[in-house]
This record gives sequence, structure tokens and C-alpha cells, in this order.
Amino acid sequence: MDKIVVEHLNLRYSDGTESLRDLNLVIPANAITALMGPAGGGKSTFLRALNRLNDLADVVAQSGRVLIDGKDILEPEMDVIALRRKVGMVFSRPLPLPLTIYQNVSYGLEVAGERNREVLDKAVKLALDQAELWDEVHDRLSDPAEALSGGQKQRLCLARALALKPEVILLDEPTSALDPVATAKIESSLSELKKNYTIVIAPHNTQQTARVADWVAFFLQGEMIEFGPSKDIFTRPKDKRTEEYILGRYG
Amino acid sequence: MPEIFERRSRESHGEWVITRLIQTAGYSSIFFVLMILYFLLANGLPVMKDVSLSNLFSTVWYPIEEYYGILPLILGSLVVTLGAALIGVPLGILTAVYISEIAPQWVKEALKPLIEILAGIPSVVLGFLGAIVLSPFLRESLNLPTGLTALTGSILLGAIAIPTIVSISEDALNTVPRAYREAALALGTTRWQTIWGVTVPAARSGILMAIMLGIGRSIGETMTVMMVTGNAPVMPDSLGALFAPIRTMTATIASEMGEVSGGSPHYHVLFFIGIVLFLITLGVNVMASRIAFRQRKRSERVLS
Amino acid sequence: MMKYLLTISLILLLAACGPAGGEETSSSPSIYIENKGSDTLVNLALAWTERYQSMHPEVRLSVTGGGSGTGIAALMNNTVDIANASRKIKQEEIDMATSNGFIPIEFIVARDAIGIIVNHENPVNQLTMQQLADIFTGRIDNWAEVGGNDLQIVRVSRETNSGTHVYFLEVVIRLGSSESMDIFARDTLLLPSSEGIIAEVRDNPHAIGYDGLGYITDEVKVIAIAMDDQSAYILPSVETVNEGSYPIARDLYMYTPGEPPAPVKDYITWILSPAGQELVRELGFVPITP
Ligand SMILES: Nc1ncnc2c1ncn2[C@@H]1O[C@H](COP(=O)(O)OP(=O)(O)O)[C@@H](O)[C@H]1O
Ligand SMILES: [Mg+2]
Repeated sequence: MDKIVVEHLNLRYSDGTESLRDLNLVIPANAITALMGPAGGGKSTFLRALNRLNDLADVVAQSGRVLIDGKDILEPEMDVIALRRKVGMVFSRPLPLPLTIYQNVSYGLEVAGERNREVLDKAVKLALDQAELWDEVHDRLSDPAEALSGGQKQRLCLARALALKPEVILLDEPTSALDPVATAKIESSLSELKKNYTIVIAPHNTQQTARVADWVAFFLQGEMIEFGPSKDIFTRPKDKRTEEYILGRYG
Repeated sequence: MPEIFERRSRESHGEWVITRLIQTAGYSSIFFVLMILYFLLANGLPVMKDVSLSNLFSTVWYPIEEYYGILPLILGSLVVTLGAALIGVPLGILTAVYISEIAPQWVKEALKPLIEILAGIPSVVLGFLGAIVLSPFLRESLNLPTGLTALTGSILLGAIAIPTIVSISEDALNTVPRAYREAALALGTTRWQTIWGVTVPAARSGILMAIMLGIGRSIGETMTVMMVTGNAPVMPDSLGALFAPIRTMTATIASEMGEVSGGSPHYHVLFFIGIVLFLITLGVNVMASRIAFRQRKRSERVLS
Repeated sequence: MMKYLLTISLILLLAACGPAGGEETSSSPSIYIENKGSDTLVNLALAWTERYQSMHPEVRLSVTGGGSGTGIAALMNNTVDIANASRKIKQEEIDMATSNGFIPIEFIVARDAIGIIVNHENPVNQLTMQQLADIFTGRIDNWAEVGGNDLQIVRVSRETNSGTHVYFLEVVIRLGSSESMDIFARDTLLLPSSEGIIAEVRDNPHAIGYDGLGYITDEVKVIAIAMDDQSAYILPSVETVNEGSYPIARDLYMYTPGEPPAPVKDYITWILSPAGQELVRELGFVPITP
């Protein structure tokens, strides 16, 4: 099933960089789609277009359409608050909010107006479970989130996004600040989560792409060069540039 | 070989002198503080000999008849300062939030120098404006018997504290990582929810420090207060005291020190008030620097 | 660093040369007059001194305060040429001086009168001394009690360090009684300057204040005062003060130990002349009419 359909998406920042050029792409539901490519290729910009976080940045020109469940989210009258609840995001820096562990997970629900303790408790437990963090923190939910280790913090950030019961999860280099053990935990959560969610990730290296991706999009300087099932991209890429990247020719 | 050796020793000699000079400068400020403290204590503590404790902590201040009750003065300072905090803190923080989170760039560039100008206005000028404009205005609009009240002082002291509160709070807000704001927004919060729920709490310690320093600044302020609070040593007994004249510790010292003869009980009492003022200001500043210290430790952890 | 040292030594050098150089240029003073006492009088005495010295470079006058008592004590010990006092010398002080071999000579050099002022909107035009005392001690707290509007009274005074404040305490609040322990009502506004007092009374219909006659302007209304309810209400003026009918006024004195020598006599004569009395008016006191 096609969850996200991108048509002729162009985006330019105020400094003149054409960060996305005529992007056409279909992202399937219940799978992990990885955005692969060298730094500056437009992966983050694309992810931020999907939850309209680019609204905060100096974007001077944007055109094209991004359809999620058939609805164009780039329309000005789009309710971005509702969109961001439906499209959760995990950033590269494992930075919990300056609150307790519990509050970090319940925060999104509370600002959405949820006041019922029981509902909140249940949602927090479920989200922490899904992020494979519950067992480690269930006895210290009211400690400051600051006290967690880096890997735990990042899983907390994942849990906080999951608590809102989103349909799409965006992850921008979520393990770039983590050690291999913590990285493995996140990756295992993701492969569990993809059964119920649409996941779009910018992995922080090619190895990770190969490990987690079902589908791969190769981004180079604002253009999508190639898109296909992970296996195909890694075994017989159609474009020479994709092949060179996989072989490690780009930085 | 000996030549090189000689040069190096000359260099390190110069460096030794510079180090000593800097060290002396550093220690001299400690030395000055200690000297001031010693001077205050030496002149203020003899009050215990001259004036009975029951007189010193009574509620009547009329030194020419040997009534040395300093309670109305201490409470007077506290009432004005509290009022200043009630006015200056919300306004200061809101302004800082506006400048750092909401205002478009050009407004930001216009507001910041304006606030610096406010900081630069001499307190006599502010006091003059207070006496000529603010005090009659308050008397008429609030239907008070006189406009020379604690409230008048509080408003002006609030204005004096605001630049300090704004600039330090704004710095604190600016150091909140962008990522916090983005993380909150990505969770579907509105801009206001992000500001109140995440950005301001994240800058909490810096803002607290701003408040402390702003308050410290207003406790010590003298000229303005002397011109607009009426200087009547009334014992403040309720919040209504905000709308009546009061006399602060600073105004008392400033207006009476010039005339008293050295070594008299009155002279010692004025120094004793100085000690009280010194201790209160010290307390506020210590609190501010402890908050700052805690904040620094935390940001170190966040960045590591 | 060198430059800095040089500046310092230059300053020291100049400081050292200063007085010497000065003496050479002007004809050096040969007559010294010592003048000491009342703090009320000290500014006036300094003004006289300055003006007089500029006309008579051969005279050098020194003025110090310390209070009337200090001045008279120095007089009795014969250590000053002129003692300033804001009160009359007491009989036992005269006796003491006499036993030291001289009789103090008294000169009235100026008068000090205090005007009572209210806002122009205030319908009250006159008060007795007793009413005034009751107002300033807080026993009367509403203008209606003395025939005015139903408004709370706001009392305005100079700071406690001013001589006027102390005089007002003795003469009005305590009505001249040395037993009275009455003091100003505690909510009396204590303002650091005459301008502050005039401004508050000018703007505020609740206010009543007092100040030296010379400081009072048309912006406020002056109240007529009666010694008691049998006596006439008198407005302060140079005439009523000089004839003694206005109750809140006092003489300011200079005393010399015995008949003054010529230079001191000349100085006092000048003080009593219109030129000297002009300064009296300028400093806010009442000049004496000869
Ligand atoms: N907020 C921004 N303002 C201006 N230019 C930006 C901004 N964010 C990214 N860019 C530019 O857009 C291009 C794509 O960046 P990005 O999307 O971060 O790439 P990637 O995530 O693939 O490294 C880069 O040239 C980058 O400099
Ligand atoms: Mg990126």
C-alpha cells in the first residue's frame, strides 16, 4: 500500500541552495524506507518536509505535492499540529525534554489535551515497551530523563514519538551518537515496529542501510538518483553513481 | 647554548611579573570586599553597646529623639523590592521571551538597544520622572492620599530591574538548544506550548539567576527610592502598605549619614543598617551564583 | 607607567605650591576671625564670609558648625571671636562668661520663620498652633476636623537632619514645652528637598507642609497661624516676623566675648547692613529691618 506519494517536490532555502530537485517517490506502508546518500544530499530536508518542520526554516520556494493517505500535506490550510501527531520524528541528538522520564513520554498526549491518568499511564507503558525501554526504567519513571544513558535517551525519544500513536515515523540518523550495542537495540525495535508503522529513516551509514532497509532511495545533491528494494540497490544498482557510493567512492 | 638559556629565563621572568600583577589585581578585589566588611563591622557592631536590642528592633525610627527601631526600614525595603519583583519579573521574562522566541528580526534589533538605553538612564532622572509624572498619576488614578508610595518606588525599581532580567533571561533562552524546540514541535505542540512547556523550563536556571540579579540591583537602589517613596518610617503591616509611603534602608543611610557626628549611636545604627543591607544583598547574590553554577554543571553534562 | 608617575608628582608639586603661590599674589590676610556654632546658621554664615572676604582680602574668616551649644561653650572659654546661635543665651551661660571676665554681647543677625503651606484647592485658610500640633502628631487626621473638605491629611516635612525639622518639632509639635515627648506622626512624608515639599503640596489637595519662608513660592497657599483661639490669625511676612506677631519665627544670634574689636565690629555691622541682609533673603531667612 502506498502511504506517502511525493510528486515533483522542489525546495530551495534562502541561501539559494536547491536542496530538493523534482523529487518523485512512493513510500510504501509497513516497511522501512531508507534515505541513503552523502551529507548535504537533502535527506534531512526531505524528512522535515514530511512533517512540515521546514516551516521553521528559511525556505524560500517550495513546490510539488506530498500526499499522505491521499491528502496533500503541503497545502497551507493543512493542520500542521494534527500532521505532526500523525507523523512522529526522532532526531540524531538523543535529547529528551528537560522533564522526567514519564513526562517526556506523556508530554505530547498532555498538550494534545489528554488528562486522564489511566489513559496516560497505559500509553506511557505501551510506548516504552515498543521502544524496548520499559524494563530498564519502569521503577524510576519520575527520575529526570537527563539521568539516562545516551542509548536509553534515544529510545526514550522514540517512545515519546510512539506515545502519540503516529502512523509514520521519521528518523534522522537516530544512532549517529550511539555505541554499537545501543544502535542494535534501536534497529531491533524498528524491525518490530515496521509491522504497524510506515518508517522513513536516514541511516547514518551504508551498513545500517543494508541492515534495516526494505526500500532504499539514493539522494545526491538534492536529487533522487535511484529508488528500489534494498536487495536490488545493493546487488545490482541501475545508476553508476549509486554503485560508486555503495563501493565507498563518496565521502 | 648559554644565550638561548639566558633568553628563556628572561622571558619567564617577564611572565612571572605579569602573573604576579594579574594575581594581585585578582586578590585586590577580595581585599577590598574584606576591607569594606571590616569597616562596616567596626562601625556598625558598636551599636550593641550604645542601643538596647529592644530599641534597635522596635518599630519606631526617629533618630533625633533616639528611637532607633530598624524594623520599619528593613520591611520598607522588602516591600518595595517585593513590589519591584512583582512588576519587573513577569514583564522582564515576557519581554525576554518575546525578543528571543517571537519577535521578527527587525523588532529584535530595535528592542535590544532600547532596553540597553533603559539600563543606562541615571536613577536620579528616573526618580525625577517618578516624582513629577508617575506619583501624581498614581494618586489620581488610584485615588490615594499621596502618590509618594511604596508602589511608586516598586514601579521605578521594576523598570531598573527589567534590563538586567531581560538581557540575562534572553541569553539563557538563546542557549536552549534549537533541538528542544524542534523536538517539542515535532510532537505536535503549538508555538506557545513549546515556549511555556519546554523552552522557558529549559532556561529555568538562567532565568532564576536573572531574577536574582535584577532583585539584587533594586534592593541597593537609593536615589530613585528616596525621591518617590515619601520616606515615612511606617511599619508595613499588610499588602496595603504597598499603597502607602515607606522608608527604605538605603534612603535612610543616604539622607542621614551626611549629618550625623562620627561615633554617635545614630552613626553606629546607620552602619548597622549597612551591615543588614550588605548581608541581604550578599544572600541574593550567593543564591544567584549557586543557580548559575548548577546551570553550568548541567549544560556541561548536556553537551558531553 | 612613567607617564603616570610623572602626573602624580606634578599634582603633588602643584599641591605643595598652591597656597604659597596664592599668598604671594593677594595681599596676605592679617586678621583672623573665628566663627562657630549653630548649624541652622552655618550656610548663612558661610555666605556672609565668602562675600565679605572677597571685599576685604585682609580678613580671613573661618566658619564651623556643631550646634548652638558648641558655639556658646566656645564663647564662654573665649576660644572664638563670634558664636552663632539659633537660641538666646541662657542666664547661667552669661554668669559663667562673667566669671571668666567678660560679658557676652548679643546681635540679632537674621530671623528664621516657617510658613505653613497647603494646596490652593484646600479651603482651609487658618489654623491655631494647637491644631497644627494635633495635625502633625496625627491626633487630627482629616481636613474636615479643621473646617476643610472630608480628605485624609498628608503631612509633609523636611528630613530629620534639617534644622527646620528640629525647630518645628520644638516650637509646633511640642508647643515649646520641654516636657513634651510628642513627635511627628509616623506617616509624615520626609522629603529630602524644599523643591520636593513644594511639589507635593502644589499637586496634592491632601497635603500640608512647612518650610523656611524664603523657600515658599506662589504655587502653594500659605496659612495664617494664631497663637491660640483668642489671638488673631497672622500670615508670615517680613513685617509680622519682625514685629513678633507671627508665632513660628525665631531670632538668630551672634555673640561676641565682650565688646568686639574693630575688625569683628566692622564685619557684624556689614552683616546688619542692607548688603548683608540681602544674603539673608537669598538663603531663605527673614531679614531684620533696622
Ligand atoms: N535550514 C537550512 N537553511 C539553509 N540551508 C539548509 C538548511 N538545512 C539544510 N540546508 C542545505 O540544504 C542542503 C541539504 O541539506 P540536508 O537536507 O541537511 O542534507 P543531508 O541531511 O542529506 O545531509 C545542504 O546543502 C544544506 O546546506
Ligand atoms: Mg542530515
